[in-house]
Amino acid sequence: MSKTGLKGKIYDIQGFSVHDGPGVRTTVYLKGCPLHCPWCHSPESQSFHSQMSYASTRCAGVEACGECMKVCPAGALEQGAEEKAAGGLIHKVRWHSERCAQCFACTQQCFAEALSVCGKDYTVEEVMQILRRDYDFLKSSGGGVTVSGGEALCQEEFTVELLRCVKAEGIHTALDTTGFAPWKAVEHALPHTDLFLYDLKHMDSAEHERVTGVPNEQILENARRIAANGGKLQVRIPVIPGFNDSIENLSATARFCAELGGAVTVVQLLPFHHMGASKYERIQRPDPMPADVMPPDDGQMQKYLELMLDHGLKAIIH
Amino acid sequence: MYQFKPASERILRLRERIRDRVLQYDAERVRILTESTKKNENVIPDIRRPLFFRDLCEKMTLIVDEDEIIVGNKGPHIFSSPSYPEWSGTDWVVDAIEAGKWDLREDGMYHNPDSEDIKYMMSPEDYEYLKSVRDYWAFRKVGTMADAWQPECFEELQRLNVSSYVKGGNSLNGLPAGHLIAGYNRIITKGYAALKAEAQAWIDAHRDNLMGEDLEKYLFYKAEVITCEGAEILVRRYSEKCAALAAECADEKRRSELETMAETLAWMSENPARNFRDAVQGIMMYQVMIQIYDRTPSPSIGRFDQYTWPYLKKDLDAGKLTMEEAQEIVDAFFLKLNCFYGGAPIKLKDTVGVGNTYQNVTVGGVDPDTGEDASNPVTFMIFETIGRLKLHDPTVVFRTSSKTPQELWDCALATSRLVGGLPLYYNDELVIPMMVKECGYSLRDARDYGCIGCQEIVGCGTDYPAPNGNFPPHASVWWGSIMDMAINDGKNPLNGEQSSLHTGFLYDMTCIEQVRDAVKQMATHIMRMFVTTQNYAEHLNKFFAPESVLSLSIEGCMEKGKDVVRGGAKYNSFGGTATGLATVADSLTTIKYMCFDKKLCTTRELYDATMANWEGHEKLRQQILAQVPHFGNNDPYADVEMKWCVDLYRDICKQMYTTRSKVFKAGLYGASDHVNQGRLTWGTPDGRKYPEPIADAASPGQSRDKSGPLQIFNSSCCYDHGGFMGGIALNMRMHPSVLSNDEGIKKLGEVTKEYFRKGGMEIQYNVVDTETLKKAQAEPEKYRDLVVRIAGYSAYFVELGRDLQNDIISRNELTV
Repeated sequence: MSKTGLKGKIYDIQGFSVHDGPGVRTTVYLKGCPLHCPWCHSPESQSFHSQMSYASTRCAGVEACGECMKVCPAGALEQGAEEKAAGGLIHKVRWHSERCAQCFACTQQCFAEALSVCGKDYTVEEVMQILRRDYDFLKSSGGGVTVSGGEALCQEEFTVELLRCVKAEGIHTALDTTGFAPWKAVEHALPHTDLFLYDLKHMDSAEHERVTGVPNEQILENARRIAANGGKLQVRIPVIPGFNDSIENLSATARFCAELGGAVTVVQLLPFHHMGASKYERIQRPDPMPADVMPPDDGQMQKYLELMLDHGLKAIIH
Repeated sequence: MYQFKPASERILRLRERIRDRVLQYDAERVRILTESTKKNENVIPDIRRPLFFRDLCEKMTLIVDEDEIIVGNKGPHIFSSPSYPEWSGTDWVVDAIEAGKWDLREDGMYHNPDSEDIKYMMSPEDYEYLKSVRDYWAFRKVGTMADAWQPECFEELQRLNVSSYVKGGNSLNGLPAGHLIAGYNRIITKGYAALKAEAQAWIDAHRDNLMGEDLEKYLFYKAEVITCEGAEILVRRYSEKCAALAAECADEKRRSELETMAETLAWMSENPARNFRDAVQGIMMYQVMIQIYDRTPSPSIGRFDQYTWPYLKKDLDAGKLTMEEAQEIVDAFFLKLNCFYGGAPIKLKDTVGVGNTYQNVTVGGVDPDTGEDASNPVTFMIFETIGRLKLHDPTVVFRTSSKTPQELWDCALATSRLVGGLPLYYNDELVIPMMVKECGYSLRDARDYGCIGCQEIVGCGTDYPAPNGNFPPHASVWWGSIMDMAINDGKNPLNGEQSSLHTGFLYDMTCIEQVRDAVKQMATHIMRMFVTTQNYAEHLNKFFAPESVLSLSIEGCMEKGKDVVRGGAKYNSFGGTATGLATVADSLTTIKYMCFDKKLCTTRELYDATMANWEGHEKLRQQILAQVPHFGNNDPYADVEMKWCVDLYRDICKQMYTTRSKVFKAGLYGASDHVNQGRLTWGTPDGRKYPEPIADAASPGQSRDKSGPLQIFNSSCCYDHGGFMGGIALNMRMHPSVLSNDEGIKKLGEVTKEYFRKGGMEIQYNVVDTETLKKAQAEPEKYRDLVVRIAGYSAYFVELGRDLQNDIISRNELTV
């Protein structure tokens, strides 16, 4: 069987990414992640399975539609409270995720795309067809394709095949990874990956495990081995107040990056933001990040940037 | 990232005055016009109009304000908005005050209601005067003649209410055509004395011997002599005013400045410019003349950086001026342009916007002789001015090509980040060859193009383009209504009016070809009636409204002895626009997909739902929105319908012409008319409900683009942009995070360039997020400088009507 028939579970394909690697990029987001970082702004990426998502703002209301309630076998959809809408007062549907059987029958009825399935299987060839539409823009801007997650290496065969096909067509490839994967998987991807977008969240393994759920030894080791084997890394540090923004930890991170030498193309500091909040609502999961955690201000970010520069690293904010 | 520098304090003071402007209607021009017209009551318009202009130049009040270094005013107040009763009578203001809609406030002035976002006032004396001459002008205005009799089709066109000739709307002919770029360069390189001598030489050579066409030429040159006399008088009077102020001025620095201004103006009253100050002030004086002679909509400046750079370079080389001084002069020039708002009834706000001047400035581009990049330090200065002063007006058009330097791209994109929609990016490599091919320009003149109005493409000082027809707000037929009528046997479902053309009903049609054929027939019928009406208006203009101020500078007129309105210009065209064809294309796609290909509903069901304005058919509507492919997503199934629509429109335009012009330019632009048209277009088969806006200009339908900006670019290239020499506007709203750093700015530039390589003509970016727009709606006072682009102009967001604000919010915000 041709490998292009391999299937992967994808929750989004987004064109015109300008902050995730060089040039303009199209990013393929794969579902499933072994980490559960509380600041994750794509909570729908964490589960390895397709799942229900409900954007109530799009619901047309039971007066005009209400078809979803008729097909729900679990009684998870009910008429909600009265609300003001453009056309007058309406009752939108309320989704009870705790009762939902995740059968997705309702999504077939919801033309407004309020109820939808997050996570769909694509063959490599299907993804390639979508990506090819963007090639002119990717090439002319010095960009390419990024495979991201979740943790894309959890779907190793699909990810590697996708990277291989893209690179074979002369397009720059990047793999956005947590680094938490067996070396064998990373090694498998290495020849087809022009650049690793590589997250470093905390240098202390215990602290890393306490917050993200996994320790960091393998992550650090994979980074070293990528560097040793000729791979390129764009290191990404999410700056999370109270977790990893101590000077001590950031200095340790900087030292680690410096040790990797020329393999590190740039260190990217990503200030925490609350923009994922509505995505938690859509899958009815509480946002684990306390609302009072504020994004680091520009002054602080500048200080961290200088810290990186002081270690001889090329660094940027965002 | 390009860093904008702080402006001088006096420039900032001027800027604040302009931001807080209250436009003042005044009667001075009407007083002088009425006296002059009464004196010359039965003199032929060719001479009567220049005589009035000369009287006006002799008598009008001049202003030299304390912070000003570039002077020029349209009336006795810095924000004067004169009336032009010779076209449309003494105007809507008098009617509004008489009807008690404006109130007399403590400052002794009438003010328009606060609910109207643009602020106007008028003195009781001026109001009384205008009222006293109302009957006089009601009888004499051009509009009266135009309205008294029209060709047959006008009745049907107006009754159907499917074009800018709205039922009960404005007069058929209430404004001159305007919308052009006069020959500023000719004025500053020749001077009024030489131009006058040229005209006088012809008269002297033909004295007492006018045979054949000589008579028309004689009248033309006579008019130009009188016009030049007026011009000399006006500029000299400004000089005298500056000199008088200098004599009284205690502050030594200001005194010397006023003396310089007096000297500059004295010289420019007759002579060609010697230096940068001369050139800029000379352009401004002529700009004032264009606007006091006549209402002249969209008197665009054109290639300011090209006219002025040779002078600045000379000054810099000679050490006579510094870059900082030059930048302040550019700031002052642009702020001066911002004093020239014309008032308009509030209802016009949704069609063309009010509170913008349409004095477009074109920058960058190539050298007309060599074809090499022509950008220069003045190009950067213009972006600097617009960016640091956050000016939404005038529209700045940035001509780009593969030769445009990267630093200029960076500077332009940094400007886009600060000022919504500005600049507009234009693709020289598409426009120039097509101007030669489609419109017959010489390569040299094509390379010298500029943009006017919303973004229409015209020659710079060589062209009489009348791109919005001969009564400017009358630029478009409403394609959404054409779609509805085509499937409803020629009856407009909005008002039940029946067209003389019957096209059958959707429920009797059995394939998409039949539907397309009905649309083609209806569009052709409406366009023919529309342009016939336009051509009649043009016929009237030729007699009533020769334009001696414009004809003085536009290439061809002085050479031929022929006024611009009679075809004197080197190039002639006219045209219009089809805004929101995406709504029609998506309607066709919907019919094709739902009724014929997938058979998800019958033609009867879709017909009934459309005719019911979708009431009671919400589920079908949602299904259409979700399942039917739409233009803007790079889906050939949908894009092929857009291509069919634009090709149809272009083919129809090719059948239109007048005696003055063989070229009717097709355009895909349209100020803010999509909102206005939406209010007068019944529900459409694509699931759009009345009175929602139709798609704007050449953009995809609001929120129908679901695949990101690259697919919008790809879809937009599904048709040949080269056929739309009227101009194309593609609007994109970008989330500010895209441009948050140098990298993002550079990448947006690269994507734009690739769009142009693929054949895109134009793009304009609004860089603002939904949250900010909503906050601005809630707390307008905190967002007074937030500039957004609608379609054909930019404006302060908080000054827009709610519908327009909501329309901008409803456009998809394209992010990273």
